[in-house]
Amino acid sequence: MRWIPRKTELIAVAACVALGCHEPPASPLAAAGGTTAVRGGELHLASFADIKSLDPAVASDTLTGEAIELIYAGLVDFDDQGHVVPDLAERFERSDDGTVYRFFLREGIRFHDGSLVTAHDAKRSIERALNPDTPNSFASFYDRIVGFDDYTQRHAEHLEGVIVEGERVLAVHLREVDASFLAAFAMQVLRPVCPSAGDRYDDTWAPCGAGPFKLDTWDRGRSIRVVRFDQWWQPGKPYLDALTYTYSMNQVTQRFKLEQGDMDIDRELSLSDIFRYQNDARWTPLGAYDEIPSINGEEMNVEMPPFDNVEIRRAVATAIDRLQLQKLKTPSLVPLYRTLVPILGGDDPAFPAQRYDYDAALEHMKRAGYPYDPKTGQGGWPKVITYPTYKQGLNEYTAQVLQQQLAKIGIRIEIKVVSYPTYLMMTKTRGAVALAPVGWQQDFPDPSDFFEPIFATSAINDEDSNNGSFYSNPKLDELLVRGRKELDPLVRKKLYDEADAIICDEAPWAMEYQYRYYGIHQPYVRGIRWNAVWPNYVRDVWLDKPHAIASTNRHVPNVLASIWKVLQ
Amino acid sequence: MRRLAWALFVVWATTTVTFFINNVLPSDPARMVAGAQARPKDVERIRQQLGLDRPVLEQYGRFMRRLVHFGPSQFTPKDPVHGTCANVWRLHFDLGKSYQQRRAVTTILGERLPRTLFLALAAVLIQTLLGVITGLIAAVKRNTAVDHLTVGGSLVGISAPTFIIGLALQFVLAHRLRLLPLDGFGDTNVQHVVCLILPALTLGIYGAAYYTRIVRDELITSIKQDHVRTARAKGLPMWRVWLKHALRNALVPLVTLIGLDLGALVGGAIVTETLFRWPGLGALSVSALLDRDGPVIMGTVIISSAAIVLANLVVDLSYALLDPRVRTSS
Repeated sequence: MRWIPRKTELIAVAACVALGCHEPPASPLAAAGGTTAVRGGELHLASFADIKSLDPAVASDTLTGEAIELIYAGLVDFDDQGHVVPDLAERFERSDDGTVYRFFLREGIRFHDGSLVTAHDAKRSIERALNPDTPNSFASFYDRIVGFDDYTQRHAEHLEGVIVEGERVLAVHLREVDASFLAAFAMQVLRPVCPSAGDRYDDTWAPCGAGPFKLDTWDRGRSIRVVRFDQWWQPGKPYLDALTYTYSMNQVTQRFKLEQGDMDIDRELSLSDIFRYQNDARWTPLGAYDEIPSINGEEMNVEMPPFDNVEIRRAVATAIDRLQLQKLKTPSLVPLYRTLVPILGGDDPAFPAQRYDYDAALEHMKRAGYPYDPKTGQGGWPKVITYPTYKQGLNEYTAQVLQQQLAKIGIRIEIKVVSYPTYLMMTKTRGAVALAPVGWQQDFPDPSDFFEPIFATSAINDEDSNNGSFYSNPKLDELLVRGRKELDPLVRKKLYDEADAIICDEAPWAMEYQYRYYGIHQPYVRGIRWNAVWPNYVRDVWLDKPHAIASTNRHVPNVLASIWKVLQ
Repeated sequence: MRRLAWALFVVWATTTVTFFINNVLPSDPARMVAGAQARPKDVERIRQQLGLDRPVLEQYGRFMRRLVHFGPSQFTPKDPVHGTCANVWRLHFDLGKSYQQRRAVTTILGERLPRTLFLALAAVLIQTLLGVITGLIAAVKRNTAVDHLTVGGSLVGISAPTFIIGLALQFVLAHRLRLLPLDGFGDTNVQHVVCLILPALTLGIYGAAYYTRIVRDELITSIKQDHVRTARAKGLPMWRVWLKHALRNALVPLVTLIGLDLGALVGGAIVTETLFRWPGLGALSVSALLDRDGPVIMGTVIISSAAIVLANLVVDLSYALLDPRVRTSS
């Protein structure tokens, strides 16, 4: 018996198809086919997050860093591989003993307000950023500059180690050799700001720098629009007339906007959308991965049982099947076996990394004194371990996979979902948490940034400890100090390899994965290069649009028309 | 006067409770400002700058002293003492500076509140119109297919979470039919109105589902009452009986709901504002809570509680206007 009329059924099917029950991606827009970069056009980007500030001295997150990179230029910057290269400085040099860096500014470079950028401005901007009244999250990165303590403790008016040696020459003196200084210096924090900023941080200051774009509008909580700075030091660049970055936009809306032509690059795709675009031949050439070095894993508190037993930690590190974990979000998770990611030199296949080996994990449990019999499910660590996590990204899901994998070696965890601020507080407090998920993203691309802040003894505090595993090893500390002071890249790499081998063996962390993004762009967006430090790096981007594409000309099918066709 | 004093007490009590809850929660606002990876020395310095190293009672005392105080009638945002104040002549309101945005909270609320009010009014208008019309139709056509369809439809409206309604409307009306913008607030007045439609409709449909059922039930009860029967016996046309005699009585309980809904919506429609990127108090509250931005949390709580208290007062007063029996008894 047919109780649904044929017409109703057809309407339902048509509606389902039209509404997107199985909707393929809309086709990308056309490009004009130009081969040489041309000026013009406005690029549209979006993110689900929001920026907090446009002042380089107080920017503390990646998204804000992206905006800072548009408006402010540094004396030095990073290239695609994360190497430090000259920017406002035409060159820089390091003294033979490694304690003095000298920057030679380009001639005739200007701020957005038209004034010349001089070494005095660079010094003023550095002092403004490091002033003790400035809410700067990164000030301590520069504590090796001579006079830093006196200046930040208000014993000195100026920073002694930053010296203007001429209108276009700035010297920075360090109290000891620091091989990571240049990378830290290239971050957004110390970038020159216009004279209108003065020498003290002020919340009401209107952002103004010497970057490739100048701020046009900032609609707080919603978007920024920047326009090309025609007097930028690189002739002919940037190519874009303007760029609009919209904030607080969810992933679904971003995808809709991309397909409607209202957005040009989408880097925040959901897992299902990544698959949709990757499996669509029209979009495949327009997608690419980019990864800002980061490490993610499990942090084991070496002061709390059972992780005060190194064999238990080794058992956890070998019990985690990273390939299985990767299946949670295959395109975005790259299995991680050691602290140093490949782009920072961790690319040696023979390195004694943490690898999945179930039998070895059982053996480590036995050596720890808690043998586990997988056949009977008897043995293992007798207590249940509370495992705090928070609802963000994949954490809830990785927790469940971890729970299953650790159960196989007799370690039982109870997942406790808390808010992110609570999670942070718990995991940074001594004696509060035995096992927790943990992640670390580079502050600047240097191996030291992946060791000292999280594994050195000096990073341990009773409260607010960045070393959340509370792992302390004098040999490791010594290697890290030597690594920081070593200027020879090859020797330095060996030192960090040695340090990494200790971490992998003693396992205060069980490494799991590094995260990468899959972004797609419209075909007319040309000159995209994925940068190891700055996401959505647009200094070389140009638009190859055949003509101004009006949103109303888009190809998104009309739902009513679809239904009407079926009815006819 | 007694009601007003009681209203002020409720707002003060809510504010105080929120302040202490916010302070006893296991979290560190300074860490949220500095970022998860900031070095402890930098976090400590920021904690001091924000005054979070002071005892909680001292922080509370300072907050209450600053909340309402007297000051100069004219000042600039750079004024070290009153730069974060909003004022009515010499009466100042100060909620301090947002930890995250580093702007005066009164300024932030001043930007956000009108947008939320705009959305709340539009949503209440839609849900009232839609609810009354569909409720009326269902009551007039009671026990027919139209009635069943309306009541069934309202059940779907009540059951569906707002984000589902919002996503469906966004997908159909904005993405596929391209009749409306996907999200945002727009830059001109016309754009504000156009951008308002989808979020207001989302909230309106959700609220209308309740109203439909209430209006229908009230109308069915009203139509059986003596004065309505008398009106029919006098030979009045049926549309007039329904609209003039039955509907007026049926609307009395709706007034309570409208007032309370309006009050609640002023606190911010969190999901809808976030989904449609409507820059109101709802979206602000979410980010403030996630970031443990104490001054902003306090500001949104004060606005929300004041709105609900005010809505209750207005509802009480409007009862007297709508229902002569209330007037007589009081």
